[in-house]
Amino acid sequence: MDRDQRRDRGGDWDWDHPQCRAQLDQIFFRQQDYIQAGSPEHRDFWTFFERFQRFRTRRDVRGPGPGSSGETPGGGGTRGQRDLGLPKEYDARYRINMSVCTGDVEERLGSRPPGSGSSGSRPPGSGSRGPGPEQIADCRLAYLHFLDFTQRQSFGKLARLRRDQKNLPIHQYRDRIVDLVRRHPVVLVAGDTGCGKSTQVPQYLLASGLSCIACTQPRRIACISLAKRVSFESLNQYGSQVGYQIRFETTRTAATKLSFLTEGLLLRQIQQDPGLDQYQVLIVDEVHERHLHCDFLLGVLRPLLARRPALRLVLMSATINIKLFSSYFASAPVLQVPGRLFPIQVIYQPIPPEEQASRLEKLDPRPYLRVLQGIDRRYPPEERGDLLLFLSGVAEISTIQEACQVYATHTQRWIILPLHSTLSLAQQDKVFDISPPGVRKCIISTNIAETSVTIDGVRFVVDSGKVKEMSFDPKAKMQRLQEFWISRASAEQRKGRAGRTGPGVCYRLYAESDYDAFAPYPVPEIHRVALDSLVLQMKSMGVGDPRSFVFIDPPPAASIQTAMTYLREQGALDRHGELTSVGSLLAQLPVDVVIGKMLVLGSVFNVVEPVLTVAAALSVQSPFLRSAQHNPDCATARQPLHSNQGDPFTLLNTFNAWVKVKGERGGGSRKWCRRRGLEEQRLYEMVNLRRQFKELLKSHGLLEAAPPPAGERGQRRERLTERRKLHQLKREHDLTEGSRRKVLRLGEEGEGGSDSGSDAESTDRRTKDKDRPGQSTDIQEVKFKLRHNVSELQEAALASQDLSSRQQSILKLVLCRGLYPQLALPDEHNATRKDSEQVFHTRSKQGVVIHPTSVFASDPEVLRVPEDEVRELGNAPPPSLTRHQLLSFVTLLETNKPYLSNCVRVPALQALLLVANSVDSNADCSRLVIDGWLELELREPDGALKVLSSALSLRADWERLLLARLGQCQNQGQGLGRGPGQGLGQDQGQGASGAGVSRKEMDKLSEGLVRFLLYTEVSYSLRRLTAFQTQNLYVGPQAETEPPQNPLFPGVEAKPDPIKGGLRVSAFFTYNCLADARDLYSECLRTFWTCPTCDLYMPFTPLERMQHEAACRRPGELQDAAAAAAAAEGSKAARSLAAPSLTRVYHCDVCDEDLTLSSTEILKHKRQHMASLK
Amino acid sequence: MELMTSDLLQNTFMCELCGLSTPYTYYGQKPPNTRAIVLLEECFVTKDPFSPDKERFLVLGSKCSLCGSNACIGSDCSLFYTTRFCMRCVNKHLDQFPTQIQSELMKKKQPSNPAVP
Repeated sequence: MDRDQRRDRGGDWDWDHPQCRAQLDQIFFRQQDYIQAGSPEHRDFWTFFERFQRFRTRRDVRGPGPGSSGETPGGGGTRGQRDLGLPKEYDARYRINMSVCTGDVEERLGSRPPGSGSSGSRPPGSGSRGPGPEQIADCRLAYLHFLDFTQRQSFGKLARLRRDQKNLPIHQYRDRIVDLVRRHPVVLVAGDTGCGKSTQVPQYLLASGLSCIACTQPRRIACISLAKRVSFESLNQYGSQVGYQIRFETTRTAATKLSFLTEGLLLRQIQQDPGLDQYQVLIVDEVHERHLHCDFLLGVLRPLLARRPALRLVLMSATINIKLFSSYFASAPVLQVPGRLFPIQVIYQPIPPEEQASRLEKLDPRPYLRVLQGIDRRYPPEERGDLLLFLSGVAEISTIQEACQVYATHTQRWIILPLHSTLSLAQQDKVFDISPPGVRKCIISTNIAETSVTIDGVRFVVDSGKVKEMSFDPKAKMQRLQEFWISRASAEQRKGRAGRTGPGVCYRLYAESDYDAFAPYPVPEIHRVALDSLVLQMKSMGVGDPRSFVFIDPPPAASIQTAMTYLREQGALDRHGELTSVGSLLAQLPVDVVIGKMLVLGSVFNVVEPVLTVAAALSVQSPFLRSAQHNPDCATARQPLHSNQGDPFTLLNTFNAWVKVKGERGGGSRKWCRRRGLEEQRLYEMVNLRRQFKELLKSHGLLEAAPPPAGERGQRRERLTERRKLHQLKREHDLTEGSRRKVLRLGEEGEGGSDSGSDAESTDRRTKDKDRPGQSTDIQEVKFKLRHNVSELQEAALASQDLSSRQQSILKLVLCRGLYPQLALPDEHNATRKDSEQVFHTRSKQGVVIHPTSVFASDPEVLRVPEDEVRELGNAPPPSLTRHQLLSFVTLLETNKPYLSNCVRVPALQALLLVANSVDSNADCSRLVIDGWLELELREPDGALKVLSSALSLRADWERLLLARLGQCQNQGQGLGRGPGQGLGQDQGQGASGAGVSRKEMDKLSEGLVRFLLYTEVSYSLRRLTAFQTQNLYVGPQAETEPPQNPLFPGVEAKPDPIKGGLRVSAFFTYNCLADARDLYSECLRTFWTCPTCDLYMPFTPLERMQHEAACRRPGELQDAAAAAAAAEGSKAARSLAAPSLTRVYHCDVCDEDLTLSSTEILKHKRQHMASLK
Repeated sequence: MELMTSDLLQNTFMCELCGLSTPYTYYGQKPPNTRAIVLLEECFVTKDPFSPDKERFLVLGSKCSLCGSNACIGSDCSLFYTTRFCMRCVNKHLDQFPTQIQSELMKKKQPSNPAVP
């Protein structure tokens, strides 16, 4: 009907016909016009047009509006008023303050005689005419109304924004804040949740004319959302005045006046720019959360303020412990801002003793169910308001969730949703969806909802009063996740979550007396965690002795000491506690020391690509969703990704397979991940981190910079166009993001409910998402494509996909050395235990188990020595075999049990000899003790000597090449003109740079290592030392020791070890220090031996033989070695690392002469005397 | 264009009726990139921050043609009918406006508390 009418108006003109519309587009929406045909706005216009036409038609049918019939407004100023000269007849057109000039185009069209329009394809039903003046006028009018409409829409948003800003509690303190910051170097703004400090204070300062403002946040996600919010509020969304900087991305440009960044990143900037001259104002937000980095940052800023009086520091916190911060900064002025919270009623409902769970029992859900029932009884379902329930951990959440689900299914009045960080992001996101009328959400959460996640619409809070917190046990070198009572500050924070949108109720499942007994504040992170990385960073920033650094709340001295010792063990600090060159490099890598070591080590061999991936994978949360583990479909789909070499290899396979899918199917990877129960977000994080690592290694000269891609010009242009398109997609996404919230269905919660069946459900949910407009772009995919060159990544993945067994063993060694001393030994009785009860021991903690997520938990067989090797089982207690294995692991975490996660299996003897810090032997080297806790007994002394001596020379070479490599990169770093105070190991390894490290040498080393790892066939037993054995391990210092003759390695002075006794042969190897009843004389016993290299055949003592082997080179290699030695000349470090100089001065007692001889020659010389004596 | 943004960014438009205040980047009848579109009054204009397209303009307000005070385009503050009138002036001269506008304004006044979310 509508249609007919419209057609009537235009004669044979059909508004719905695309060609008719196209003709009008030719007039109004050309490429050079404000709105172009084909753009989203153009589509919006035509939709608007239809509505507008319908509206006009309706009005025409109804006749002119009421009161407008011929009445003229009182024209001609009545009562002597001024005549405004308004038109007599009302027309809505007069209300629009715009006009569209299309005269030129119309003229052109109009000049055409009717009928001569488009000759070929005539719009059907439109006759031969183009749009007549009437149609053009209609279209113009609609266009004007459309423009007016969009103007009003945008202005409405702007007005609402300004009104909301004005209504924030902090608004009335605006001038006061600006004034305080002007007059004082440090100001503390303390305000509770919802007062608007994080978004407004930076804007106030910006508006007052200050620029170069940095605002730190404890969480990355907050940096992004705040930058977005603030740039939005300052109407500068696409200008570049407000930006953020986080680990992987920065939107900061030269024009940026305000940037949000993480505390860690600001600290790194101080490392480069010690005066922070790039900033005028620093805002440190959320200082009350007391994160490690934040505490340290405050400690660094305090002296910096004294050096830069113009710098302004604004601390922002909740109204917690204000005095502490103010007094740390010389009584800085405090501005307290009230929060915007509605009144909250607190109800104490302590759990009766019979319902309190003992340590090992499951939580009793009854107290929680009573709260739900109580709410149902007391509040009518029409009154909206959701429930937020705080529990300590994931296990507790699923217990309570199960019970609540039964109740919810029964009453049909609740939707139960879990919330914790190990859920998939899609599941986490669900807590923001809206429940249908008459139904409440019940969100069961860890303390993640206390600060990190804010959910609006919560009216009821249930607080269990418990939290699980990570602590560090320095003695066992173990992290521990333990349950504690929360602090009063946390309890208040949890309570506050009920009053964000209206008055609320907080049920505390503990007594008021308990509350009073809570600690006032949570334990700051600096008192709970291992300080290795912090101390390393302090060292690298040159802030002086970490033990005397003035922290706001100093950590226990023992923690710092533990960290220093650990860093020394790791080679990051030298004996005097100064940074080594490895250490200074590690300090610049934003990862754990062990991961950093892996990266550095990996760059020496040709396994860089896989090491980059593994290092990245081990630095993010596992992509494997726990909930999918029990899903048989996921388990089957995951199977091909598993590697029984260890979890890092599984991660490597997974990443490579994902990159492959990305290359082939792009956005299809989302589905691929879902099938396998993988959280794709983690893979995106991995790929970003991986890239960052790669750039860091490149910038330190540890990786050759790849030649610029030599793509064709056309290709490049193509990529450029694609990028532009992607950028546009990203912008559109940014705008629509978060604007839509889904309504939850009753019963939908089941999908996260128990740990099974979640996959199918979430699949159909996602497909629905896809149908929603605006949701179809996978923004992660877009960002991924913007940031990475997929084909390049694929090459890298390919390079690490099918690792040969040799590459695999090198990669293992790199991981193992990186992770050292994190090694675990399988218990000797594991063969007789069930798969689920396999026990392991680390040096400092006995009886640990493998985490159920590890590949070795499902497949412990591979850790056992092959059956056929167990020749004489039940004979001597420790069986003597060739294939003992150890586990190298990333974390040891105690929850209800101590668990090892991310494990790799490594061949025991070989790995220990290559990575251990301390190897002690008896006289014939048949007995070795590693790091004072593992004992190896080798069956054949001859084989033992051979193994030991290869290990010694391999390690020496490895060390030398590594240092040369680092020396190289250090020189490059200096060449780049980095500022002073970089402190890259001033006096180390510099001389080595001249020679560099040749590929050939490295290949030779890796060849040697592979041979050693794969083909060492020595039979040995492996066991832990008992406490008694440990006490009587060493012979101790000997009163009369023979002078250190024949040092094994020239350059290293083998001298008696003052504590262990015996001879300290290299930094890690001490010969003949073990108290050994059996062989008192083997030290001086000579046995006949043929050197496999030079064919020399003569009797040697064990020490002599090792010495010979260390120095003996095949004739062809002689030159290489000489060249290397020459290169090492002048370098103290390199020399001390056993660069073999072949000859040295030898004083022969028999001839009484100083001779310059090589080690072999010395032996020959001595043999002459021996022969003549006989 | 670049010059304009940096030069005029400090300029702030403030509505004398509701107090809304926000920086503007252009004052006049022909904001940049508007092509065929012309404003029928001199307006305070900024870039539309709510549009994905960088080049969209947004009219913030203009001067009342009678009293000359700055008024934003919000319907509580001003009205455009062939030219701009601030609400104070509209109310003073209400009888001269067409009945449609009069009844519209009456309707708006009746619910004593307008929808302020």
